[in-house]
Amino acid sequence: MRLRNRFATVFTAVAAVLLSGCTAPNPLIATHLNETAAFGGGVKLNPLQGKVITSWVDRRTAAMSTLTGNETAVRYARAGGGPAYPAGSTLSLATWGQVEDGRWFGARIPGAPRSVEIVTVSQDANGQRLYSYQKYEGAPLKRVVSREAGPADERLQFLISQRASVLP
Amino acid sequence: MANSSSAYRRILLRIGIAGVVVFAGLQFVRPELKNPEVTNELQAPPEVKDILRSACYDCHSNETKLAWFDQVVPAYWLVVRDVKTARQHLNFSELGAQPAAKQRAMLYEAINQVQLGAMPLAAYRRMHPEAHVSESELAVLRHYLETSTPQPEVSAAEVSAAEKQFSDWVAAGPASAKPPAAPNGIEFPADYRNWTPISSTDRFDNQSLRVILGNDTALKAIAENHINPWPDGSILAKVAWTQQKDGQGMVRTGAFQHVEFMIRDSRKYASTKGWGWARWRGTGLKPYGDRPSFSDECVGCHEPVQGNDYVYTAPIRGQR
Ligand code: HEC
Ligand code: HEC
Repeated sequence: MRLRNRFATVFTAVAAVLLSGCTAPNPLIATHLNETAAFGGGVKLNPLQGKVITSWVDRRTAAMSTLTGNETAVRYARAGGGPAYPAGSTLSLATWGQVEDGRWFGARIPGAPRSVEIVTVSQDANGQRLYSYQKYEGAPLKRVVSREAGPADERLQFLISQRASVLP
Repeated sequence: MANSSSAYRRILLRIGIAGVVVFAGLQFVRPELKNPEVTNELQAPPEVKDILRSACYDCHSNETKLAWFDQVVPAYWLVVRDVKTARQHLNFSELGAQPAAKQRAMLYEAINQVQLGAMPLAAYRRMHPEAHVSESELAVLRHYLETSTPQPEVSAAEVSAAEKQFSDWVAAGPASAKPPAAPNGIEFPADYRNWTPISSTDRFDNQSLRVILGNDTALKAIAENHINPWPDGSILAKVAWTQQKDGQGMVRTGAFQHVEFMIRDSRKYASTKGWGWARWRGTGLKPYGDRPSFSDECVGCHEPVQGNDYVYTAPIRGQR
């Protein structure tokens, strides 16, 4: 009886050691959504719901951005673009701080949101283009800027003059 | 009673002797495992090579040293099979013949396989605890790559090539000719460019920018947080561009490199982990691979995230 008990103990210990190699789950692999990079707070428009125009990284601020647009904006950008987006265009720029990709040493991915910027283009009765610019910042995101913007507005110019990424 | 029990014992004894004879005989059934000459060893500093030598070289080099218990059949057969496959995938004794960029890419992959617990093989680690790569050894490997991976500026020629690619693409108009199917029969999902971004990556290992897109089924799965397993019909796309740097810290997408897909159909693609794998390269959208089994390479590198349904990307929450 005692012998059998001891055998059971030893057997369990050996089995545990042998099994641990295959069962211990690596936390880096555990299934999860990227919660950190999610946009909450006071942003009405989901900044990523449109189609991709382009994306970039700013090394000075260790931030990465994705510029998306609605149908009108994307059609224009992919047809060659330039700063004359037609009325009805909406562009959204989502910007995150970068973090190391836990699943791939060699990659950086979106971390905490830094800002959301939204440009909408309309026109007045004379066919003159009108721009509005909104910016959200902070955690949770809050609207910090909302202005009518003219073509001389530097940030607006920057956003509407980015070349589309090639998507054949 | 007594009689039948001694007969029983005799039978047992005979079976036992036969077992020993067969076991001993099998020891002579030995597939050959040679250590060919080391021709082109990986070029890396000694502290890096030392770590790889003690953790990986038994399988991934021409310097295999088998422990006595590895030499006993049937363990020996498994070991020989592992070493032969391992050398086909990665052989540190020959890797040095590859261009520096290729060697580096393999080292990144190697470190990632270690970091995610996929290498050395679990069965081997149990028998060879000394082969375990410790946190500090991992840090040495990471530090080496972090400090030795060149981050070159972009030449004027590259910039103008990317500009030309853009204007040619614009001139060709949206979705021109349909590209040929991938070698495994997968057709090009032409509408991918209108899918929704679910994440992006900035790759300093190979100087590229990537965007990961999902089709509607994938987006619904993300919204419901049902992404392991992903439902049939989900398609994930990854688009890669070169990095175009402006010399002042801004890195934009340069030339389009490739677009690749994972298409979920757990029955149709059961033999490749439930996903159909395909990649098209360049604006000419040339299918990647020269035979249907090209996707072994995809599956091999996605293997460490098997527990996450073979997907690397953690989609950003809140999409739709
Ligand atoms: C016991 C043998 C063994 C040891 C030790 C071992 N590997 Fe492997 N490795 C394999 C086998 C077998 C494969 C082929 C793929 C598979 O079967 O999973 C492989 C595949 C790989 C691959 C290629 C994956 C692909 O793309 O197909 C990499 C990279 C790798 N190993 C890295 C390492 C590193 C780094 C070490 C040491 C830290 C290591 N391996 C130790 C057996 C081994
Ligand atoms: C050397 C390793 C490696 C190989 C080989 C590889 N991938 Fe991946 N793949 C990755 C990594 C890492 C990611 C995560 C995104 C990133 O960092 O670029 C990824 C992401 C993807 C994604 C986005 C979904 C996800 O899993 O994150 C798709 C689609 C994809 N790969 C398809 C393929 C196809 C098709 C092939 C083969 C033709 C392939 N991959 C070969 C490493 C690899």
